[in-house]
Amino acid sequence: MAIGANAPARVTTIYKAPSAFSRNAPGYLFLLPWLIGFFGLTLGPAIASLYLSLTDYNLLQAPDWVGLDNYVRIATADDKFISSMKVTLFYVVCSVPLKLTFALLVALLLNRGIRGLPVYRAIFYLPSLLGSSVAIAVLWRQIFDADGVVNTLLWYLFGINGPSWISNPDYSLYTLVILAVWQFGSPMIIFLAGLRQIPTDLYEAASLDGASKVRIFFKITLPLLTPVIFFNAVVQTIDAFKAFTPAYVISSGTGGPIDSTLFYTLYLYQEAFGYFRMGYASALAWILVIIIAIFTAFSFLSARYWVHYDD
Amino acid sequence: MTLTIDRRQLLAGMAATLAFGSIGLGRANAATAMRLLWWGSKERADRTFAAVKAYQAKNPDVSIAGETFGWDSYWTRLATQTAGGNAPDLIQMDYRYIFEYARRGTLLDMTPYLGKSLAIEDFGAPNINSGKVDGKIYGVNLGVNSSMVVVNAAAWQEAGVEQPHDGITWEQLGDACAKVTAAKKRRGFYGTGDQSGGEPALECWLRQHGKALYTNDGKLGFEAKDAAEWFAFWAELRKSGACVPADVQALDQQTIETDMLVTKKAAVSYAHSNQFVAIQGLVKEKLDLIAYPSNPDSKPGQYLKPSMLMSVSASSANKDAAVAFINYLVESPDGAKTLGVERGVPASPKIRDLLTQDLDAISKQVVDYIGRLTPHVGALPPAPPNGAGENAFLLKKIAEEVAFGKSSTQDGATKFVEQAAANITRG
Repeated sequence: MAIGANAPARVTTIYKAPSAFSRNAPGYLFLLPWLIGFFGLTLGPAIASLYLSLTDYNLLQAPDWVGLDNYVRIATADDKFISSMKVTLFYVVCSVPLKLTFALLVALLLNRGIRGLPVYRAIFYLPSLLGSSVAIAVLWRQIFDADGVVNTLLWYLFGINGPSWISNPDYSLYTLVILAVWQFGSPMIIFLAGLRQIPTDLYEAASLDGASKVRIFFKITLPLLTPVIFFNAVVQTIDAFKAFTPAYVISSGTGGPIDSTLFYTLYLYQEAFGYFRMGYASALAWILVIIIAIFTAFSFLSARYWVHYDD
Repeated sequence: MTLTIDRRQLLAGMAATLAFGSIGLGRANAATAMRLLWWGSKERADRTFAAVKAYQAKNPDVSIAGETFGWDSYWTRLATQTAGGNAPDLIQMDYRYIFEYARRGTLLDMTPYLGKSLAIEDFGAPNINSGKVDGKIYGVNLGVNSSMVVVNAAAWQEAGVEQPHDGITWEQLGDACAKVTAAKKRRGFYGTGDQSGGEPALECWLRQHGKALYTNDGKLGFEAKDAAEWFAFWAELRKSGACVPADVQALDQQTIETDMLVTKKAAVSYAHSNQFVAIQGLVKEKLDLIAYPSNPDSKPGQYLKPSMLMSVSASSANKDAAVAFINYLVESPDGAKTLGVERGVPASPKIRDLLTQDLDAISKQVVDYIGRLTPHVGALPPAPPNGAGENAFLLKKIAEEVAFGKSSTQDGATKFVEQAAANITRG
């Protein structure tokens, strides 16, 4: 190697700025676990499921191409699709607004600077943390059972012999709505953060002008909180559509009594793992994706009319 | 029990594992390493692991790794493993699923082993045939089983009503149960659980009337009017107070733990005979087991069935060893004694006699029941067609609709027959 001749070139090589890739390589390296997870466990299976939704697949034999048959059946000949969608929509429409209202009320209370705030925050957040766990659903069974806590209280306080809430098709879904509302912790924490962002000088000015508390709430707090409300509403709606564990545990996976707690995801699970109709279940899953997408898009479109961003 | 390991220990452990890997994995590297998958209770797991251990002690070159799941997750797990080309060598199989698995080529045809390493000739034709699909042996009967009626003897005595016995008619059972409810000896206690949504009970009733759940060519073996009669019978019992109300019955998730008798809501309930030991284990009072009710002119409603079968995966690398292990479980005194009657009464008379000598009183009740029932049973019904699994849930749902008054008995029956037929067509 002729060092002398190459010397200037070598110097420029050394001081040349590293290429974009080598500069970012450590970043990609640290991202690698996520990338592997995303492509291997999310995107890959999603594409596979899209393919399987066009087949008849029972896990034991190779998938059999059926084109759009599964989708046609869902649209035209599936009573359970309709009944499970009704149950899910009812659940979404009831639980999300109630849960958000409750979360906001508690956040407002906690925002008043009470002593031991972190403790209360933790306590209220706890149910959400355990939220979709089996343990909580089992606890719910115990509470709303025929001999459960609710009926025992009703009996001793009012002498009423209550029904078995979870096993009566007229009430079972409401117990799941109450369960959802009870898990108001995570939107509450976000509301609390949102409330802290509202500039205090607005409140000071309003109270100097003699505005009532109710008026302050509706004219200052609520409008300035709309971005947070919007965020919570979208996240909670998507979550509610995907609700599975409580219904699964309360009805032992049957969606009973009389399909009153047959959530869409539960129906999908039954088709896939109960009756080994993987292709059909995949089609159901894609329909759910589309429905959630429509709901979310609708939320974003409506947002411009009621969400205020403070500029 | 929790195990906490700090990082240093973990690293040391990993190093040790790498260094002594060959020793640590000795078992898995044995000449013949197999996997065994089954569903069931802790009792069953203990017995199965004991049998595996005893077998390995005698056959040092064989190692068997066992995995166990609950009934629900079991079938998901098995289907997924089979689909992934990773099926266990030894598969506990159910009569409901064996046709599906065998016809899809996932199970080993064990016919060539018969009379050689699989010496089960003394099972007798019916018990050998219960593991056959299209004339070939795909499963070996691990125990004989039948449906049964469980009776809480103490509750009946307390109510002062004569306890139901073998040979009671459906009407008599209904009347007697109404008396138990009327005696009001316990709070919220009824004569019997509501079995209108129970498939084994409906099947027995249909067979007694000369019908069947499914015909040999995989169609529905009954009509709407049969189902309507069945729903009407239970509607009558609900009216007379003989059976539990709808919202109580809906708590029954068709598991032993939620059974109406176990949860102290009824004096009579319905299950399979191999579950008797487990049910008695959950109830302090003395229980008896009797045959299903029948009328004098009835045809045989009940039948003996394999409580479960043992199959070998068609893709197993150790087919001969797997078959030899099955033979050990059902035909060797050591293996059979370890398993006991927990999976049903052994099909081999030789083994059965050997076992009964030192059985406990409760297991003896089960063996005695199978003996009493055997002269009165009918033939094993044909395998249920694809989609039949869904029909068991459909029956439960429609029975609930009738019980909650959302459908008449007639409408419920019509709907059941239509949708059940549609489920089979869909497969």
